[in-house]
Amino acid sequence: MASTATLRKPASGFRISRKMLPYVLSLPALLVCIGILIPFFTAVIYSFQRYRLSQPWARQFNWGENYLNFVTDPAFWNTLKVSLLYAGITVTLELLLGLGIALLLQRRSTINNFISIMLLLPLMIAPALAALMWKLMTNPSFGILSYLASLVGLHDFRWASSPDTALLTVVLVDIWVYTPFIMILLLAGLRSLPTQPFEAAALDGVPRSFVFFRITLPMLTPYILTATLFRLLDSIQQFDIIYAMTQGGPGNTLTVFQVEAYLNFFQSTNVGRSAALLIILWAITYTLSNVFIKNWLRLRERARGEA
Amino acid sequence: MDTTSPLERILRAVALTLVVVFFMFPIFWIFLMSFQTNETILSIPPSIVFSPTLSNYAALITGKLQTAAGTLDIAFMRNLGNSIFLSVTSVAVALVLGVPAAYAFARHKFKGSEDIAFTLLSFRFAPPLLVLLPLTQYFQWLGLSNTYFGLIWVYQLICLPLILWIVRGYFEDISADVEYAYRIAGHSWFATFRKIALPLAGPGIAAAGLLAFIFAWNNFVFALVLASADKQPVTVGALAFITSSGIQYGQIASAIVLSVTPTLALALYAQRYLVEGLSLGAVKG
Amino acid sequence: MYEKEKDLISAFLRGEVDRRGMLKGLGAAGLAAGTAGTLFNMVSTQALAADFDWKAHSGKSLKLLLNKHPYADAMIANLQAFKDLTGIEVTYDVFPEDVYFDKVTAALSSGSAEYDAFMTGAYMTWTYGPAGWITDLNEWIKDPTKTNPQYAWDDFLPGVKNSCAWNGQPGGALGSEDAKQWCIPWGYEQNNLSYNQEMFDKAGVAVPKNLDELSAAAAKLTKDVGGGVYGIGVRGSRSWATIHPGFLSGYANFGQKDLNVSADGKLSAAMNTAESKAFHTKWVSMIQESGPKDWSTYTWYQVGTDLGAGASAMIYDADILGYFMNGGDNKMAGKLAYAPFAANPAASAPTPNIWIWSLAMSNFAKDKDATWYFLQWASGLEHAIFGATKMDFVNPVRASVWKDEIFRERLNKSYPGYVEMHDISAPGAKIHFTAQPLFFDVTTEWAATLQKMVAKQVPVDEGLDQLVESIDRQLKEAGLG
Repeated sequence: MASTATLRKPASGFRISRKMLPYVLSLPALLVCIGILIPFFTAVIYSFQRYRLSQPWARQFNWGENYLNFVTDPAFWNTLKVSLLYAGITVTLELLLGLGIALLLQRRSTINNFISIMLLLPLMIAPALAALMWKLMTNPSFGILSYLASLVGLHDFRWASSPDTALLTVVLVDIWVYTPFIMILLLAGLRSLPTQPFEAAALDGVPRSFVFFRITLPMLTPYILTATLFRLLDSIQQFDIIYAMTQGGPGNTLTVFQVEAYLNFFQSTNVGRSAALLIILWAITYTLSNVFIKNWLRLRERARGEA
Repeated sequence: MDTTSPLERILRAVALTLVVVFFMFPIFWIFLMSFQTNETILSIPPSIVFSPTLSNYAALITGKLQTAAGTLDIAFMRNLGNSIFLSVTSVAVALVLGVPAAYAFARHKFKGSEDIAFTLLSFRFAPPLLVLLPLTQYFQWLGLSNTYFGLIWVYQLICLPLILWIVRGYFEDISADVEYAYRIAGHSWFATFRKIALPLAGPGIAAAGLLAFIFAWNNFVFALVLASADKQPVTVGALAFITSSGIQYGQIASAIVLSVTPTLALALYAQRYLVEGLSLGAVKG
Repeated sequence: MYEKEKDLISAFLRGEVDRRGMLKGLGAAGLAAGTAGTLFNMVSTQALAADFDWKAHSGKSLKLLLNKHPYADAMIANLQAFKDLTGIEVTYDVFPEDVYFDKVTAALSSGSAEYDAFMTGAYMTWTYGPAGWITDLNEWIKDPTKTNPQYAWDDFLPGVKNSCAWNGQPGGALGSEDAKQWCIPWGYEQNNLSYNQEMFDKAGVAVPKNLDELSAAAAKLTKDVGGGVYGIGVRGSRSWATIHPGFLSGYANFGQKDLNVSADGKLSAAMNTAESKAFHTKWVSMIQESGPKDWSTYTWYQVGTDLGAGASAMIYDADILGYFMNGGDNKMAGKLAYAPFAANPAASAPTPNIWIWSLAMSNFAKDKDATWYFLQWASGLEHAIFGATKMDFVNPVRASVWKDEIFRERLNKSYPGYVEMHDISAPGAKIHFTAQPLFFDVTTEWAATLQKMVAKQVPVDEGLDQLVESIDRQLKEAGLG
């Protein structure tokens, strides 16, 4: 195939050898981002140091001590647990909900298109401000949601302020903000699926559930993987919503990685611990992404093989 | 596809209504708040009946805020301008860099291609907080702190990986055969890329561009740390209404409404690419 | 022209005539208030300039980092006077309070020379000072060639001034002989009661005099006012900000401490004494019975908003929060009253813990002498009087402003009881925390523990024992314990 492309001379422009072309296309993007690797490695070094800004004289390498301390620190294990739980719950619910909404809006019509754009609105509000508004709406005195809840008999529902419902409340806000992200990617995916398999299935009278699970879902899987991957990366790094709603409380209910690292860095100015926490977070996201990308590539290969 | 029963249609309508109510009610409530004074917003119990006022918008647009202590200057419109400039430029740069790269990864399996692609994705893993302290220091040495150029560069961390990986997926879905046919007809790869590949991946590029725009728009930590007050985006600007003499909910609500407007306009404009899509069926492998 | 009037103003500035006398005299001379003001500024500028070369740094420029706050607003409103006086150009960056200290930390930790001076709280200097980001201002205050003779450093309230001075040793006493003046106090907040008079009348509640009475009054208010109003507003978020206002003021009134300092300078947590446990128990049950339902999310803003909107009957928090809520477009504006509060019935006077908005000089400032010119002007008497009488620069930190008749009258007119409250509690007002760099670690965990107690996740005794154990471990880890 490669040889057929050079049958005739291209009409214009200077030529770049076929072998070089992909590098020429991808390197600028890489070069622009590579600068960020230097601060990243600096931060890795910090994580191996005893480094408190308030005790500059005591700054020195303590090698793995920051990490070793985590092993015996119950606060760290709580952070790990809460972060994974939060990411797991939000991404699962958002994926199901986003897929459901995308299916509801799949048909091309003016009203569906309009709704799909309007549903993006929550995503367009900065999460910190969205959380502030949710905090007001769930306030027991002035909050419309608390008022509505009291109308249906939930007089003492405490939203983000009770350890029993805090996770539920921030998850609710997260779902409100980020489900549209998954919805729009899956909707675009659904609408770009080829029509022939569906037409054929309809002609053969194949049950709709079979069509969904055997045709739609497999064909949509690459899109689901990308959307989930990006959502997962953001969700496990969630900060804005949780910090604005509860600052990690009540107690230690919501002290996820970023909240802990933020407090360690900006308030305690314990740079070493903060960096170590974030490196662990980085390692988790790295591993998760690796799994996702491997599966994504395999699916792609298979799809190509079948074609 | 018109085999839906009446019952199913009703169920779908109900489900869609619930979805719209859940996602739109807070928006609707914020919209109402933007026409209320703080006093009416903070009434017990909350009420939907109020006499609307434009004072919040007037304060934001004229930049003069009337308080008990006198008139204060606010820079909201400047923040809005910064947000528009930063987001538009960052996404434009990310598209110019990211779309060709995405095309390269999708079309050419070259040595190290997956490694480079994964590295580009991995920039997204690093929580901004991790690189913040070293970044501020390096920016100072490089003279990039407090410059739009520096900010747009850092914003690539938000925009580029997203655009690259979403658009790549779309390119991979387009059969290469059409492109080969076009090239055999004597067109350069660039013409093929521009005339065939780009239009076919249009919905993906629109979706990725819009999402990158939204994420760039909502970011505030980079500008906060790396730039001075005159370069702050609207996200930082809106926080100014949380003042020690009280939270100005009405002004925050109208700030949200104003700050959402450009993004919404962009989304409505991009809609035909975004959700209309192109019927790819004919060209899919 | 206006010679007689100028003489009168000069006499005032020399301290021969009081402010009221001067204004009366000026009024008698038929001077419009506006003209009097202009004249006053002119003459006072001359007075400031009399024995001191204010123009020494003319032509230089400074940049400030400011928090969006009425203090900053008042300074900006008067900034032209400084520029005229010194010929120094001043620019400033104002950031929202929500992110202000993040910006400060980011700017200072990177060693940025962008800002010459900035607003800070005293607690923050316990980090900034040892980190080497700010300068000991004694060098300038004590140098008569650099500080104008009328600056009157002695005029600052001693408790407030000393709270900004620390020798940098973990556990070192504030305001000690060897202390460094890390920042200059600008405006400060005491923690006392601000309450809704109408609601008190309606429920037939008298102003409480100690913690038990406070609990009882809060419970009665919650029960009897009606309309969902609750009795007592205090902060509760998972933050240092929950510990330092009413909570620590009451705690200190019982003679309790956050940390013990041993003879060899080692720190250890001190929150699990019997008295401390008793105090915590009362505090926790007060919140459970009569606090806001969503207490654990309560910051400064929610505590204030509820009082201003009539959702709460009383707050035990910063006095200026009550001050702000009595004005503006708050529903309860004009209905609030103030009272000093000593939690311990055996205590002779209140001991409010204080928050001090202060001015600090960046160690990376390009021209420290010129920066000091700004600091001494901004913390000088002239500007303090301007802020206190024309803007919301409350509470001022200079004794002579509190003696100013116009200021007192202005407060008495719109904020009844405020001046008296201040006069009673000011002698005991100071920072009651132990100065040390882990301040934020200790207080954040303390707040999280309080949250667990209020949510009944842990009993008070057990919670405090766990807290002490954890704090001690962290102190050791940091080499302080």
